[in-house]
Amino acid sequence: MNKNIMLAGVGGQGLVLATKIISEAAFKAGLDVKTNDVIGLSQRGGMVWGSVRMGEKVYSPNIPPKEGDILIGLEPLEAYRWSHLLKDGGHIILNTKEAYPTPVLLEQEEYPYEDVKSLKDRYNVIKIDAREEARKAGNIKAANTVLIGILAKLLDIPNEVWEETIKENVPPKAIDANIQAFYRGYNYDVGYNYA
Amino acid sequence: MKAVLTGNQAIARGFYEAGGLVAASYPGSPTVQIMETLKEYEEIYAEFSPSEKVALEVAIGGSLYGARAMASMKHVGVNIAMDPLMTFTQSPVNGGFVLVTGDDPGMASSQNEQDNRIIGKFANMGIFYPGSSQEAKDFMKVALELSEKFKTPMMVDITSRVCHSRGIVELEDRQEVKPKGFTRDVEKYTMLPPHNIKAQYFMKERIEALEEYAYDAPFNILEEVEGSDTLIVTSGLMYYNLKELNLPVSIYKLGMVYPISTRRIKELSEKYKNIIVLEEMMPFIENELKLKGIDCKGKEYFSFTGELFTEDIEEGLYKAGVIKERKYADIKPVETVARPPMFCAGCPHRPVFDILKKLNVTVIGDIGCYSMAVLPAWKATHAMYSMGATVGITKGMNKAMRKNGDKKPIVSVIGDGTFFHSGLPGFINLVHQVDEEDNMTFIILDNKTTAMTGGQHTASSGRFNEKDDMDVDIKTLLKSMGIENIQEVDQFEYKKTREIIRKATREKGISVIITTRPCALKYKIKEPHFYVEPEICIGCRTCVKINCPPIKMKKYKGIDELKSSIDPDECVGCSVCSQVCPVGAIKRSQ
Repeated sequence: MNKNIMLAGVGGQGLVLATKIISEAAFKAGLDVKTNDVIGLSQRGGMVWGSVRMGEKVYSPNIPPKEGDILIGLEPLEAYRWSHLLKDGGHIILNTKEAYPTPVLLEQEEYPYEDVKSLKDRYNVIKIDAREEARKAGNIKAANTVLIGILAKLLDIPNEVWEETIKENVPPKAIDANIQAFYRGYNYDVGYNYA
Repeated sequence: MKAVLTGNQAIARGFYEAGGLVAASYPGSPTVQIMETLKEYEEIYAEFSPSEKVALEVAIGGSLYGARAMASMKHVGVNIAMDPLMTFTQSPVNGGFVLVTGDDPGMASSQNEQDNRIIGKFANMGIFYPGSSQEAKDFMKVALELSEKFKTPMMVDITSRVCHSRGIVELEDRQEVKPKGFTRDVEKYTMLPPHNIKAQYFMKERIEALEEYAYDAPFNILEEVEGSDTLIVTSGLMYYNLKELNLPVSIYKLGMVYPISTRRIKELSEKYKNIIVLEEMMPFIENELKLKGIDCKGKEYFSFTGELFTEDIEEGLYKAGVIKERKYADIKPVETVARPPMFCAGCPHRPVFDILKKLNVTVIGDIGCYSMAVLPAWKATHAMYSMGATVGITKGMNKAMRKNGDKKPIVSVIGDGTFFHSGLPGFINLVHQVDEEDNMTFIILDNKTTAMTGGQHTASSGRFNEKDDMDVDIKTLLKSMGIENIQEVDQFEYKKTREIIRKATREKGISVIITTRPCALKYKIKEPHFYVEPEICIGCRTCVKINCPPIKMKKYKGIDELKSSIDPDECVGCSVCSQVCPVGAIKRSQ
């Protein structure tokens, strides 16, 4: 199993932790793994992106264009921005909640709703309001764990490994909500048979 | 045992395993996490110092005593530490000494792209250049060993990608290294003539010995492919990005990029027709090879600035004729709406820059989150260079203006971390040769933390945060310098703050205004949210222009025109929008 997973979102959404959890789960499952994420200026509401590459042997943490298998979009516009890295027919796990960038807030530019919609013409798009699902699981901060649950369905890593990794990485008080959030994602009705 | 570590964590782990004892740093992306990780090891004394210069000096002290020591800092931080570095390097090292510097190709979070390999060579240090987390750990350990063996300070130069990238690392136990103690020896440790004259010869011999060692050192790896007439010389992450292309060419990967063994590279150059150097930023390795008389090419094919990804390497090697067909040629990035960074919801900088923007005054900025006031939404900072520079620049511009009969005011902004880092000498200088026509306003944005790098302490954060042990009062400090007109204000009292700033800019003299609100992100401030009453809102967008993440124009049911709105999940209740609203349409919930 060689998988290239791209993550894209907005500073403050917890992308770095999501990248960490995915990479540690891959490691526990016995795979070689490398990740990449950008921090710094970007953590203040700017764009952030990361990658996790797993398989028998991984050289670079960067995913070359059109070699991504799965794109986790923590925000729709950011998923669109990084979609060129995804191979045709790849999966996009798309959190539907928009975060509006400054040019949109200042009414200088339109939010690209149509472009985001068009992603489904080229890719398998799994849409989910992750924050809403996380709220149902008991903690809106577990939104990314919902997305990881969906990811788990697309990968070949046992659920026990995911559970263990999530437990190690979230505050003790938030473990139950995160495990619930994971299974809300894992059992999410994606609208088509993608396994 | 193995673990998944970032490059930064692996650097810290390497220092720990090698028996490191004293470590100091000043927070700066991309290296912040090194010190945060070191602080978790009880065996190590680890501190964030007030500046890189102090951090380097703390590490020097540890090394002089014979302890293994390190300092870590971002690339531009080394500029601050250059003075002690350039002279310390003349001494024979006692305890192993490593300077870790984080370079930032592409400048994702920096004000310049300087290539610190140049500084490493300038300071007569050996330079390691890791490309993965495993290498980051391994190179730290070998750098400390070689530092003692060759009596030289060593540099570990790590790029931002490698700092933040994760990979699997083999963990080993800590090997305790007992400090040898300090032996008084003025010839070695006091750099006055004739000691420093002798030291020049010592440094020359030292680097020559290291070069000889590099000939067959295990960290410089030769991968030969039979039949290849091309040798690619590379290092760090570029090796791994190159490997993605899976090419039938030979590779010489330098773990240590300086010094490079002349004997080895000459031998190799006789075997290969083409020698291509693959490196980010400056042609450092390329120039080293050329100085050795090697016919090679590099920057002809690869950009001198920015990061080099696999697709860029493919493009360069295509130009070089090494690759006949390109895989990634036609793939263009998606063009869409930009997302510049912005002040967080509830950020205490927001009202200050809204006021400055509306007063339309010239503002000299500094380094910190408030650097973002230069962005298009604000355009409220008009010159900005480096840590603490605002104070001197403001004075100099003020003096030029007064000499020219220009009576306009000038405003300087500086954060608390930057104030202690390098703003202090500038403030001391303010009271020197005061002129009655001077009109300078200094706003110290005291948010009680070094916010931009993730919320490390400053020398005054103990005032607010009981976990921090330093409680220096900025106001008292300035008073003791002879600065008299100092006011403190809670900038969430918008109108009062506006009056104070306006008055200060209209009065001659030196005014200092200290704003007192803490960082909303670091101190997790969350008050009841605000909301817009669309029937009262006149759609003037004054609130939208303060550029707060939750505030946006919206279509309400039954109302034709767009009215303002606030996302309750994101609003932290700072109240600034409600204070700038001219009609009272924004109200607090509850």
